[in-house]
Amino acid sequence: MPTHYYLTLSFVLFLIGSSGVLLRRNAIIVLMGIELQLNAGNLALLAYSRALGDQKGHVFAFIIIALAAAEAAVGLAILVGLFRSRQTVNLDEASLMKR
Amino acid sequence: MGAAIGSPPGLGEQILFWVLAGWVVGGALFTMTRRNPVTAVMSLVGTFFALAATYASLSAHFLAIIQILVYAGAIMVLFIFVVMILNREEITPVTPRGLILRVMGIGAGLYLTRVFVRVVATSPGADVPGKVSDTFGTVASIGDILFRDFLYPFEAVSLLLLVAIVGGVVISRSHQKEVAAEIAAERRKAIEEMAHAPYPAPEDASSSGGGGHH
Repeated sequence: MPTHYYLTLSFVLFLIGSSGVLLRRNAIIVLMGIELQLNAGNLALLAYSRALGDQKGHVFAFIIIALAAAEAAVGLAILVGLFRSRQTVNLDEASLMKR
Repeated sequence: MGAAIGSPPGLGEQILFWVLAGWVVGGALFTMTRRNPVTAVMSLVGTFFALAATYASLSAHFLAIIQILVYAGAIMVLFIFVVMILNREEITPVTPRGLILRVMGIGAGLYLTRVFVRVVATSPGADVPGKVSDTFGTVASIGDILFRDFLYPFEAVSLLLLVAIVGGVVISRSHQKEVAAEIAAERRKAIEEMAHAPYPAPEDASSSGGGGHH
Protein backbone atom coordinates (compact mmCIF):
# COMPACT_ATOMS: atom_id res chain seq x y z
CA MET A 1 0.00 0.00 0.00
CA PRO A 2 1.20 3.56 -0.66
CA THR A 3 2.74 5.31 2.28
CA HIS A 4 0.11 7.97 2.71
CA TYR A 5 -2.49 5.36 3.65
CA TYR A 6 -0.34 4.41 6.60
CA LEU A 7 0.25 8.07 7.41
CA THR A 8 -3.49 8.73 7.41
CA LEU A 9 -4.05 5.73 9.68
CA SER A 10 -1.35 7.08 11.98
CA PHE A 11 -2.99 10.51 11.98
CA VAL A 12 -6.43 9.10 12.80
CA LEU A 13 -4.91 7.03 15.59
CA PHE A 14 -3.16 10.10 16.98
CA LEU A 15 -6.40 12.10 16.88
CA ILE A 16 -8.28 9.35 18.75
CA GLY A 17 -5.52 9.10 21.34
CA SER A 18 -5.24 12.82 21.91
CA SER A 19 -8.99 13.35 22.15
CA GLY A 20 -9.03 10.55 24.70
CA VAL A 21 -6.28 12.30 26.66
CA LEU A 22 -8.09 15.63 26.52
CA LEU A 23 -11.66 14.47 27.11
CA ARG A 24 -11.44 11.60 29.57
CA ARG A 25 -11.08 12.21 33.29
CA ASN A 26 -10.02 8.74 34.39
CA ALA A 27 -6.22 8.83 34.68
CA ILE A 28 -5.82 5.20 33.57
CA ILE A 29 -7.71 5.88 30.33
CA VAL A 30 -5.64 9.03 29.83
CA LEU A 31 -2.46 6.95 30.06
CA MET A 32 -3.92 4.56 27.48
CA GLY A 33 -4.52 7.54 25.21
CA ILE A 34 -0.87 8.50 25.57
CA GLU A 35 0.10 4.96 24.56
CA LEU A 36 -2.10 5.28 21.47
CA GLN A 37 -0.39 8.57 20.58
CA LEU A 38 3.05 6.98 20.90
CA ASN A 39 1.94 4.10 18.70
CA ALA A 40 0.66 6.52 16.08
CA GLY A 41 4.10 8.13 16.05
CA ASN A 42 5.69 4.69 15.69
CA LEU A 43 3.44 3.88 12.75
CA ALA A 44 4.40 7.10 10.97
CA LEU A 45 8.10 6.40 11.62
CA LEU A 46 7.83 2.91 10.20
CA ALA A 47 5.85 4.08 7.16
CA TYR A 48 8.43 6.72 6.33
CA SER A 49 11.19 4.24 7.06
CA ARG A 50 9.85 1.95 4.36
CA ALA A 51 9.17 4.81 1.94
CA LEU A 52 12.75 6.06 2.23
CA GLY A 53 14.32 2.61 2.47
CA ASP A 54 16.14 3.64 5.64
CA GLN A 55 16.13 1.54 8.80
CA LYS A 56 16.88 4.41 11.16
CA GLY A 57 13.14 4.81 11.62
CA HIS A 58 13.01 1.30 13.02
CA VAL A 59 15.65 2.19 15.59
CA PHE A 60 13.69 5.28 16.59
CA ALA A 61 10.51 3.23 16.91
CA PHE A 62 12.38 0.70 19.05
CA ILE A 63 13.59 3.46 21.37
CA ILE A 64 10.08 4.92 21.54
CA ILE A 65 8.71 1.54 22.62
CA ALA A 66 11.31 1.38 25.41
CA LEU A 67 10.39 4.93 26.37
CA ALA A 68 6.70 4.01 26.43
CA ALA A 69 7.49 1.16 28.80
CA ALA A 70 9.33 3.54 31.12
CA GLU A 71 6.53 6.08 30.85
CA ALA A 72 3.89 3.49 31.66
CA ALA A 73 5.85 2.26 34.69
CA VAL A 74 6.38 5.73 36.15
CA GLY A 75 2.91 6.97 35.21
CA LEU A 76 1.18 4.01 36.80
CA ALA A 77 3.36 4.37 39.91
CA ILE A 78 2.25 8.01 40.12
CA LEU A 79 -1.35 6.85 39.76
CA VAL A 80 -0.94 4.39 42.62
CA GLY A 81 0.61 7.15 44.75
CA LEU A 82 -2.21 9.50 43.82
CA PHE A 83 -4.80 6.90 44.71
CA ARG A 84 -3.16 6.26 48.08
CA SER A 85 -3.19 9.91 49.04
CA ARG A 86 -6.55 10.99 47.51
CA GLN A 87 -8.58 7.79 47.03
CA THR A 88 -9.35 8.85 43.46
CA VAL A 89 -7.94 8.64 39.95
CA ASN A 90 -10.18 11.40 38.65
CA LEU A 91 -7.94 14.08 37.21
CA ASP A 92 -10.34 16.90 38.08
CA GLU A 93 -10.03 16.06 41.77
CA ALA A 94 -6.23 15.88 41.57
CA SER A 95 -5.55 19.44 40.52
CA LEU A 96 -3.68 20.53 43.66
CA MET A 97 0.01 19.90 44.20
CA LYS A 98 -0.37 19.71 47.98
CA ARG A 99 -1.82 16.76 49.81
CA MET B 1 -5.00 3.98 -6.04
CA GLY B 2 -2.41 6.67 -6.45
CA ALA B 3 0.48 4.38 -7.30
CA ALA B 4 2.15 6.06 -10.27
CA ILE B 5 5.54 4.38 -10.05
CA GLY B 6 6.11 0.82 -8.95
CA SER B 7 3.53 -1.93 -8.92
CA PRO B 8 0.08 -1.03 -7.63
CA PRO B 9 -0.93 -2.89 -4.48
CA GLY B 10 -2.57 -6.22 -5.07
CA LEU B 11 -6.11 -7.00 -3.94
CA GLY B 12 -4.96 -9.13 -1.03
CA GLU B 13 -2.72 -6.37 0.22
CA GLN B 14 -5.54 -3.87 0.01
CA ILE B 15 -7.97 -6.11 1.88
CA LEU B 16 -5.33 -6.75 4.54
CA PHE B 17 -4.66 -3.05 4.98
CA TRP B 18 -8.31 -2.06 5.25
CA VAL B 19 -9.15 -4.86 7.67
CA LEU B 20 -6.18 -3.95 9.86
CA ALA B 21 -6.92 -0.22 9.64
CA GLY B 22 -10.55 -0.77 10.58
CA TRP B 23 -9.49 -3.00 13.45
CA VAL B 24 -6.97 -0.46 14.73
CA VAL B 25 -9.30 2.53 14.50
CA GLY B 26 -12.29 0.64 15.86
CA GLY B 27 -10.25 -0.78 18.72
CA ALA B 28 -8.83 2.63 19.58
CA LEU B 29 -12.28 4.23 19.55
CA PHE B 30 -13.69 1.38 21.64
CA THR B 31 -10.81 1.80 24.11
CA MET B 32 -11.29 5.52 24.51
CA THR B 33 -15.05 5.35 25.00
CA ARG B 34 -15.27 2.57 27.58
CA ARG B 35 -16.50 3.30 31.06
CA ASN B 36 -14.95 0.18 32.58
CA PRO B 37 -11.12 0.34 32.58
CA VAL B 38 -10.77 -3.46 32.28
CA THR B 39 -12.73 -3.46 29.02
CA ALA B 40 -10.62 -0.58 27.80
CA VAL B 41 -7.37 -2.44 28.56
CA MET B 42 -8.59 -5.60 26.80
CA SER B 43 -9.64 -3.61 23.75
CA LEU B 44 -6.26 -1.85 23.76
CA VAL B 45 -4.52 -5.24 23.70
CA GLY B 46 -6.51 -6.12 20.58
CA THR B 47 -5.61 -2.78 19.04
CA PHE B 48 -1.93 -3.42 19.70
CA PHE B 49 -2.12 -6.83 18.04
CA ALA B 50 -3.64 -5.22 14.94
CA LEU B 51 -0.94 -2.55 15.07
CA ALA B 52 1.72 -5.24 15.22
CA ALA B 53 0.23 -6.81 12.10
CA THR B 54 0.29 -3.38 10.45
CA TYR B 55 3.96 -3.03 11.34
CA ALA B 56 4.61 -6.44 9.80
CA SER B 57 2.84 -5.34 6.62
CA LEU B 58 5.32 -2.44 6.54
CA SER B 59 8.05 -5.13 6.57
CA ALA B 60 9.03 -4.16 10.10
CA HIS B 61 9.07 -7.73 11.39
CA PHE B 62 11.32 -7.11 14.37
CA LEU B 63 9.22 -4.17 15.54
CA ALA B 64 6.04 -6.25 15.14
CA ILE B 65 7.40 -8.89 17.51
CA ILE B 66 8.63 -6.24 19.93
CA GLN B 67 5.22 -4.58 19.80
CA ILE B 68 3.50 -7.79 20.87
CA LEU B 69 6.10 -8.66 23.51
CA VAL B 70 6.45 -5.24 25.11
CA TYR B 71 3.10 -3.58 24.50
CA ALA B 72 0.52 -6.34 24.41
CA GLY B 73 2.55 -8.29 26.96
CA ALA B 74 4.41 -6.21 29.50
CA ILE B 75 2.77 -2.80 29.44
CA MET B 76 -0.78 -4.10 29.31
CA VAL B 77 -0.11 -6.47 32.23
CA LEU B 78 1.09 -3.42 34.17
CA PHE B 79 -2.13 -1.62 33.26
CA ILE B 80 -4.23 -4.60 34.35
CA PHE B 81 -2.44 -4.70 37.70
CA VAL B 82 -3.06 -1.03 38.33
CA VAL B 83 -6.70 -1.32 37.28
CA MET B 84 -7.05 -4.17 39.79
CA ILE B 85 -5.47 -2.04 42.53
CA LEU B 86 -7.58 1.03 41.85
CA ASN B 87 -10.82 -0.35 40.51
CA ARG B 88 -13.16 2.61 40.57
CA GLU B 89 -15.95 3.19 38.12
CA GLU B 90 -15.96 6.51 36.44
CA ILE B 91 -18.99 8.64 37.21
CA THR B 92 -18.72 11.07 34.32
CA PRO B 93 -16.72 9.44 31.52
CA VAL B 94 -16.49 12.46 29.26
CA THR B 95 -16.79 16.03 30.44
CA PRO B 96 -16.67 18.53 27.62
CA ARG B 97 -15.56 21.86 29.05
CA GLY B 98 -16.81 25.37 28.45
CA LEU B 99 -17.38 26.97 25.09
CA ILE B 100 -13.96 28.62 24.86
CA LEU B 101 -12.09 25.39 25.55
CA ARG B 102 -14.26 23.52 23.06
CA VAL B 103 -13.56 26.09 20.35
CA MET B 104 -9.85 25.94 21.16
CA GLY B 105 -9.90 22.14 20.95
CA ILE B 106 -11.63 22.16 17.57
CA GLY B 107 -9.19 24.83 16.36
CA ALA B 108 -6.22 22.74 17.50
CA GLY B 109 -7.65 19.70 15.72
CA LEU B 110 -8.13 21.66 12.50
CA TYR B 111 -4.59 23.04 12.70
CA LEU B 112 -3.23 19.52 13.25
CA THR B 113 -5.16 18.30 10.21
CA ARG B 114 -3.77 21.13 8.10
CA VAL B 115 -0.20 20.36 9.16
CA PHE B 116 -0.76 16.69 8.42
CA VAL B 117 -2.12 17.37 4.92
CA ARG B 118 0.82 19.66 4.17
CA VAL B 119 3.34 17.09 5.41
CA VAL B 120 1.82 14.30 3.31
CA ALA B 121 1.54 16.52 0.24
CA THR B 122 5.16 17.66 0.39
CA SER B 123 6.90 14.50 1.58
CA PRO B 124 8.85 12.63 -1.09
CA GLY B 125 7.51 9.31 -2.29
CA ALA B 126 4.47 9.31 -0.03
CA ASP B 127 2.10 8.10 -2.75
CA VAL B 128 4.14 5.18 -4.03
CA PRO B 129 4.49 1.87 -2.26
CA GLY B 130 7.98 1.60 -0.88
CA LYS B 131 10.40 -0.83 -2.48
CA VAL B 132 12.65 -2.43 0.10
CA SER B 133 15.02 -5.36 0.11
CA ASP B 134 14.18 -8.72 1.64
CA THR B 135 16.35 -8.19 4.69
CA PHE B 136 14.69 -4.86 5.51
CA GLY B 137 13.42 -4.84 9.09
CA THR B 138 14.65 -8.28 10.08
CA VAL B 139 16.25 -8.88 13.46
CA ALA B 140 19.69 -9.20 11.91
CA SER B 141 19.64 -5.94 10.01
CA ILE B 142 18.03 -3.97 12.86
CA GLY B 143 20.59 -5.40 15.28
CA ASP B 144 23.33 -4.43 12.89
CA ILE B 145 22.29 -0.78 12.68
CA LEU B 146 21.36 -0.66 16.37
CA PHE B 147 24.74 -1.84 17.63
CA ARG B 148 26.86 -0.11 15.00
CA ASP B 149 25.36 3.35 14.57
CA PHE B 150 23.10 3.69 17.59
CA LEU B 151 25.09 2.06 20.35
CA TYR B 152 25.15 5.08 22.68
CA PRO B 153 21.41 5.83 22.35
CA PHE B 154 20.79 2.14 23.01
CA GLU B 155 22.83 2.30 26.21
CA ALA B 156 21.07 5.51 27.16
CA VAL B 157 17.78 3.66 26.86
CA SER B 158 18.98 1.07 29.36
CA LEU B 159 19.87 3.93 31.72
CA LEU B 160 16.39 5.39 31.18
CA LEU B 161 14.78 2.07 32.06
CA LEU B 162 16.88 1.83 35.21
CA VAL B 163 15.83 5.33 36.26
CA ALA B 164 12.19 4.45 35.52
CA ILE B 165 12.38 1.33 37.68
CA VAL B 166 13.93 3.22 40.58
CA GLY B 167 11.46 6.07 40.16
CA GLY B 168 8.51 3.70 40.08
CA VAL B 169 9.62 1.96 43.25
CA VAL B 170 10.28 5.24 45.05
CA ILE B 171 7.02 6.88 44.02
CA SER B 172 4.78 3.98 44.88
CA ARG B 173 6.59 3.14 48.12
CA SER B 174 7.26 6.40 49.93
CA HIS B 175 3.68 7.12 50.89
CA GLN B 176 3.10 3.63 52.20
CA LYS B 177 5.67 4.24 54.94
CA GLU B 178 3.94 7.43 56.03
CA VAL B 179 0.61 5.64 56.25
CA ALA B 180 2.21 2.84 58.25
CA ALA B 181 3.77 5.41 60.60
CA GLU B 182 0.38 7.10 60.99
CA ILE B 183 -1.32 3.82 61.84
CA ALA B 184 1.45 2.97 64.32
CA ALA B 185 1.12 6.38 65.99
CA GLU B 186 -2.64 5.92 66.28
CA ARG B 187 -2.19 2.52 67.86
CA ARG B 188 0.42 3.86 70.26
CA LYS B 189 -1.99 6.62 71.28
CA ALA B 190 -4.79 4.13 71.83
CA ILE B 191 -2.55 1.96 73.98
CA GLU B 192 -1.48 4.96 76.01
CA GLU B 193 -5.09 6.02 76.56
CA MET B 194 -5.91 2.52 77.65
CA ALA B 195 -2.99 2.54 80.04
CA HIS B 196 -4.15 5.77 81.68
CA ALA B 197 -7.76 4.68 81.97
CA PRO B 198 -9.14 3.87 85.45
CA TYR B 199 -8.66 0.25 86.41
CA PRO B 200 -12.13 -1.25 85.90
CA ALA B 201 -11.95 -0.23 82.28
CA PRO B 202 -15.26 0.04 80.43
CA GLU B 203 -15.61 -3.16 78.46
CA ASP B 204 -15.54 -2.50 74.74
CA ALA B 205 -16.08 -5.44 72.49
CA SER B 206 -14.81 -3.71 69.37
CA SER B 207 -11.43 -2.65 70.79
CA SER B 208 -8.68 -5.10 70.10
CA GLY B 209 -4.93 -5.16 70.38
CA GLY B 210 -2.80 -3.43 72.95
CA GLY B 211 -4.19 -5.59 75.72
CA GLY B 212 -1.88 -6.82 78.46
CA HIS B 213 0.17 -3.65 78.42
CA HIS B 214 -1.12 -2.55 81.79
